[in-house]
Amino acid sequence: MDFGLTETQELIKASAREFLEEKSDPAIVRAVAEGDSDAIDALWKDIVELGWPSLTISEEHGGAGLSFSDLAVLLEELGASLAPTPLVESSISSWILERFGSDSLKSELLPKIANGEVLITPAIVERDASWDPESTKVAATRSGSNLVITGEKRFVAFAAQATHALTLVRTDNGEPALVVVPIWKADGVEQTPLSHASGVPVSSLSFNELEVAESNIIATGELATQAVDELVAAGGVARSAQLAGLGRAVVDAAVEYTANREQFGVPVGSFQAVQHHLANMAIAAKQVNHLVHAAAWSFSRDGYSVDTAAQAKIAASDKIAELCWTAHQCHGAIGFTWEHDLHLYTRRAMAWKTDYGDSAFHKSKLANAMGL
Amino acid sequence: MRFDFTPEEKNFKSQLSSFLDDVLPDDWHGPADESRDDHWDLNQDIKKGLAERGWLVMSWPKEYGGSDSSPMMNTIFAEEMAYRRAPGHDRFGTRMFGPTLMRFGTEEQRTKYLGSIARGEIQWCQGYSEPNSGSDLASLQARAVEDGDDFIVTGAKIWTSLAHRADMMFMLVRTDPEARPHKGISLIIVDMKSPGVEVQPIVNMAGVHSFNQVIFDQVRVPKSNLVGDLNDGWRAGMTVLNFERSGIDYAAWARAALEELVDYVNNDDAEVTAAKSDPTVRIKLAELHMEVEAVRLMCYDVSYRQGKGEIPSAEASMSKVAASEVYLKVLDYGVEILGMYGVLEPGSNQAELQGRFFKMRLFYTSGPILAGTNEIQKNIIAQRGLGLPRK
Repeated sequence: MDFGLTETQELIKASAREFLEEKSDPAIVRAVAEGDSDAIDALWKDIVELGWPSLTISEEHGGAGLSFSDLAVLLEELGASLAPTPLVESSISSWILERFGSDSLKSELLPKIANGEVLITPAIVERDASWDPESTKVAATRSGSNLVITGEKRFVAFAAQATHALTLVRTDNGEPALVVVPIWKADGVEQTPLSHASGVPVSSLSFNELEVAESNIIATGELATQAVDELVAAGGVARSAQLAGLGRAVVDAAVEYTANREQFGVPVGSFQAVQHHLANMAIAAKQVNHLVHAAAWSFSRDGYSVDTAAQAKIAASDKIAELCWTAHQCHGAIGFTWEHDLHLYTRRAMAWKTDYGDSAFHKSKLANAMGL
Repeated sequence: MRFDFTPEEKNFKSQLSSFLDDVLPDDWHGPADESRDDHWDLNQDIKKGLAERGWLVMSWPKEYGGSDSSPMMNTIFAEEMAYRRAPGHDRFGTRMFGPTLMRFGTEEQRTKYLGSIARGEIQWCQGYSEPNSGSDLASLQARAVEDGDDFIVTGAKIWTSLAHRADMMFMLVRTDPEARPHKGISLIIVDMKSPGVEVQPIVNMAGVHSFNQVIFDQVRVPKSNLVGDLNDGWRAGMTVLNFERSGIDYAAWARAALEELVDYVNNDDAEVTAAKSDPTVRIKLAELHMEVEAVRLMCYDVSYRQGKGEIPSAEASMSKVAASEVYLKVLDYGVEILGMYGVLEPGSNQAELQGRFFKMRLFYTSGPILAGTNEIQKNIIAQRGLGLPRK
């Protein structure tokens, strides 16, 4: 057991912190939440220059070839700063593409993801808001060497910025297929923006007889289901890493506030009732942090632990959201205002809780893994 | 970052596990009730067996017969013992008092006591809490007055686990009533067979006699039994508590109990079939599984940090709080799943899981109370861990 960060991870963490402090301050987070898409583009441009989208892409395909644990360390910092940027979407898509895609598709897309030409976002969920691949209804019929796709995907993050969507469809014979679909200014794709608590762009995507080359298929049948299961697990761990960082930031903020806010002539943080709230929050943040690290560590180029991945997302979803609500209690009236930044964290935590399978979804997965 | 054990650690765990396979009765479910003579005999047999294999004091330095094992190895040892609900893990001697003697004891004391602890021959108990001094331990009043070469000890200790089985006690006494509370305390060794020592059993709410009140009436204790300097016992005494405060036992007990519940709901012979068909049961068990793994990792983290030479005080408190609470959640849920059977006492006709869950739920109500209540631990977390001001 080694709970420490590697030298590379320490470096990633320190440089990410420094960068994000300047480039993802609360003013930028608020601007993006109010619809400033230029701010998203500017931040993403810088992030591409830092090479973050290429972090886990293999060296063979123009990436840095780092591990999922390294990515998790970076994502914690993104979570702590609420960075309004599609790094999880891009990283998870490239991870799945690398694990399941054909050689030609990988050679074509991965280097472009690494250099920022291509940005892929997962588009899995439909009307029923389920991350279960079985519930996919969006239809694809074969026409020559193309697929013709019709139907609606919902809750697609950063669809407005993405060049491609990684989407699951059901083909004529009833089999699922995981496909990379070009969506940037594409005919036959309509975006419906949602007003989402995350404060970043989230849309529904309507495909109307959209033609996509068959060579864009990553996997079909059983393998497609397996790929989506892994996408949900990896995305869940990635979101959990962000939630872990977010939780840590909220604990720090609550400690800072209660140590300085005075009532009855003493800091309110000297009262046992307040200290016990904060102790509980610190325990929750630590637990999520450990489970995320254990889960991220289980991901390799050969697979992952279904069990630990589910544990991380359950814990992050439930514990970090609860921690945020407790932080509001610790902040008193000021934490109830629009002006104070705390609700930005709470909104993001509530939104991330639902992403890549919520707690109930992953509990069911975990129960299966336990033989129940 | 690495979430796996080394080959050496895995090998040790499997050796310990086979030893326990051999020495525990086939139908052993535990936990041991040390007021039962057959369970006490088992405790002694296992303790001797552990000593023969060099495991009982493996955490000790080589010069005292240990093998200087890492904190992680010690955690693996404690975890496996607790997971099997095996008796014989002598915490008072091996984990608390032995290390204290190495640091504060005289040469003579070390020669006299360390060997017998290492061989598993002597049972120790811990005389700290008093009827009027619980969380506020420094207010303790048991008095030791100097009289020639002896102290004369008068007072009462309470919640003393295993006093009814112990040969010796390490005990905090007040030697200077004029000094400030922390300054007038000394740590002494008392032979439980001394005239004037009376052990009065206390039966806990689970119906088990595991702790006691111990009355000291003019008990004569030689001054050579003083550990550390006179009136400096608080420092030595607190060293012990650092060894006491870990959540690994609870984490392991919780894991064992959870696995029993999973087996139960999957068992076609179980009387409570509703648990099997109710989908909320599998969801709740999955949630508890996550909770158990979370506290397990917290305990490993404490050992990892200790292995690096840190003193992870707040982390240890966090693991104790979280693990003792998660264990109760698992036991609560076990009692709930069993429905009407959940409240049948052990030994009852038609009891399921031998009435074990209800009894354990009652017994481990002590978890968040003992070894520093969870409320005190949360103060430590907030003040030492988060740096919040003391009031």
